[in-house]
Amino acid sequence: MTADTSVAPGTQRAARGIDAPQRRFRWSVLMPSVGYLLFFTLLPIVWVFALSLFSYSPRREGAGLGGLGGDNPFVGLDNFRLMFDFSGSSQLAETFRLSVVTTLIFAFIVLPLNLLITLPLAVMIESVARRLRPLLRTVFFMPVLASAVAVAVIWQYVLNPQYGLANALISKVTGHVTAIAWLNDPNITVLGVPVALGAVTVAYLWMDIGYNLVIFIAALQGIPRSLTEAADLDGANAWQRFWLVTLPLLRPTILLTAVLTMISSFQAFDLFQVMTVGGPDNQTRVLSLDIYENAFRFQSMGWAAAESLVLLLIVLLITLIQARLLRTKWSY
Amino acid sequence: MKRSRSLALGVAALALLATACTSSGSGGGDADATGGTIRIWTHVNKSFNKAYGELADAYMADNPGVTIDFETFDYDTYIQTLQTSLPAGTEADVLQMFGSWTCSYSTNLASVPGSVMSRSEAEKAYFPGPLGGYLCEDQLYGLPQESNIEYGATLVNTAMAGAAGVGLDGWDSFDDFKADAKKLTVTEDGVITRAGYHFTTNDGMAYTFLSLILQNGGSYLSDDGTFSFQTPEAQASMELMKSFVTDGIVDPTLFTDTTNWVGDCYFTELCAMGLVGPWVVPEYSADFPDVAADTVYVPLPTLENPSFAADSGWGLTVSSNSQEQDLAWDFVSYVAANDSNALQWNIDTGTLPALAANAKGSGAKELLSNAAYLEPFLGILGNAQYLGSLPDRDRLFYKIIVPNTLDVLTDQATVDEALAKMEQEANQL
Repeated sequence: MTADTSVAPGTQRAARGIDAPQRRFRWSVLMPSVGYLLFFTLLPIVWVFALSLFSYSPRREGAGLGGLGGDNPFVGLDNFRLMFDFSGSSQLAETFRLSVVTTLIFAFIVLPLNLLITLPLAVMIESVARRLRPLLRTVFFMPVLASAVAVAVIWQYVLNPQYGLANALISKVTGHVTAIAWLNDPNITVLGVPVALGAVTVAYLWMDIGYNLVIFIAALQGIPRSLTEAADLDGANAWQRFWLVTLPLLRPTILLTAVLTMISSFQAFDLFQVMTVGGPDNQTRVLSLDIYENAFRFQSMGWAAAESLVLLLIVLLITLIQARLLRTKWSY
Repeated sequence: MKRSRSLALGVAALALLATACTSSGSGGGDADATGGTIRIWTHVNKSFNKAYGELADAYMADNPGVTIDFETFDYDTYIQTLQTSLPAGTEADVLQMFGSWTCSYSTNLASVPGSVMSRSEAEKAYFPGPLGGYLCEDQLYGLPQESNIEYGATLVNTAMAGAAGVGLDGWDSFDDFKADAKKLTVTEDGVITRAGYHFTTNDGMAYTFLSLILQNGGSYLSDDGTFSFQTPEAQASMELMKSFVTDGIVDPTLFTDTTNWVGDCYFTELCAMGLVGPWVVPEYSADFPDVAADTVYVPLPTLENPSFAADSGWGLTVSSNSQEQDLAWDFVSYVAANDSNALQWNIDTGTLPALAANAKGSGAKELLSNAAYLEPFLGILGNAQYLGSLPDRDRLFYKIIVPNTLDVLTDQATVDEALAKMEQEANQL
């Protein structure tokens, strides 16, 4: 192998001369975004990993790098051990486990309800007169554009026990003064689900369905008409066309929306923070809220960091399942 | 090796630079009896900042060589700034501090010099409630400016009281108080549409519970830092709180911290009486002038002991890193230990005095001419007992006392179950 040994020195210099400015250009273009990612994404992640191994609170002076050490001692994996020590009686760990269960209940209620509402709604919108479709799409997509805090405040007013719309309607129908504390009464449950959690779920669905709706509408518009026309020629009725043709072709979209909805419901925070602050009796304490409170209200950063890593693992697991389920061997 | 040496040199240079910046930033330098510069950190609060500014101007006029620079931070930023700058030693000379925070930072604070005020002098001059926050292991680390009171007296709507035939002279017992509260309660179809007495907010429940323990002759925190809630006094307190619910005076699911918070509830006339500190009146007066005009505070009845739990109050401390400690203490003393200056600050900020001298005589008269609704508090300030040096006050209040109390009030747990859980959780703090 003697390649390139005969290249003239002048040519090599020329090659270096061209490469150097290119290299500088590449670096100058890349460095801002790489620096940004390193500083604002990678460093915080590394810091969270480090914090999770300490009993760290910024209220304590600590010692060493970033106050890790001293009064903020290294505890290794103790935070994680405590979380999963079911025989222990730590209030922090009990609240964590409760918040994981609440998050799972919330996510598994939101997911089917979201799909059961958005898919038929998308089919309905696609089947109405063409002129009406943009209007309906806009109406249903509008809540997605609203700030979550604004949505929470609106629903707080709707569900206010004294002057809320919900109780006013019930009072009107029953003829009695009704003051159901939708967001505060720990004793009201529906099918075993606390009514406060149900109330936040309704607000969340109202805010969130527009997003999945546009995905389904786009998927429906992408199904070739020839396939439904072929089903027509074979004598299929509307229901059979939907069940045997449209629905199977929507499978990748259903899986995509299911996983996206699941992940976003695991990360739900704003509505809970504004509408219930985790109450009543911790019935709406989801994991994101527990992390926030421990980190920024009670300054238990080490514990909160460990909790956020568990949340990360849960979301990661769902993403992996998504990657596996979304694999399809066919296309149209 | 060469690389690590350069790195070490670089770090040393940076450290030197940081030290230089730090020492110049502390306002140090030419401190002597006649001049110098001090920096003061406070949180952003219009009336507080204005009152500090006026006192600083007066101090600088009396001491021409002195310069006082203020730096203000919004409340959340201020807490974070204190948390990060005190360990780093980059804080200002004088730090506004809430009493119950002081001991967390005492390693970085200078204790009050004997020439400014001894502990025994402070105990004579200040009410025990606010002073308690500034005492850490028998050392005094600052001077309080206000008494922060959340218990001891209740807001009463005089129009509603008049219509219900309820007097405003106070009550001899909780039975009398509950009877009047019941008269003020409005119920329709079994639903409380106007609460007679609203105390079921987070602070309301926590302060009521702890105060009633003290008033029953008990205590909740021993000298070694152990909490005791499984006591007859705690049980009696919880049962008394529960009786307000069972007697139909307040519904803890309708009147809460998030829905119908006591200030909103009272000023929108959904509550006839409510438990909250006097700071709420100026806050709501502009929006609800009619209700404010019908508002008075009336002292709550007491049990065998008139003490109640209180959470210190705002005051001033001096950093142990300050190069101008003498000047800093002189100014702190001018603001917080001089009767007339301290009174002026209380008048300007609408707060209750920490100095006992300002709660009586001409001081009290002057204070009340600006805020008559404060009158009932002046008589009870001496009964305020500092909450105690709690390991984590917020977690104790909002994650332990409040949820367990709510469990009792909403029939989720018995009194015994809740108190046992509360004690166990508190002792894990």
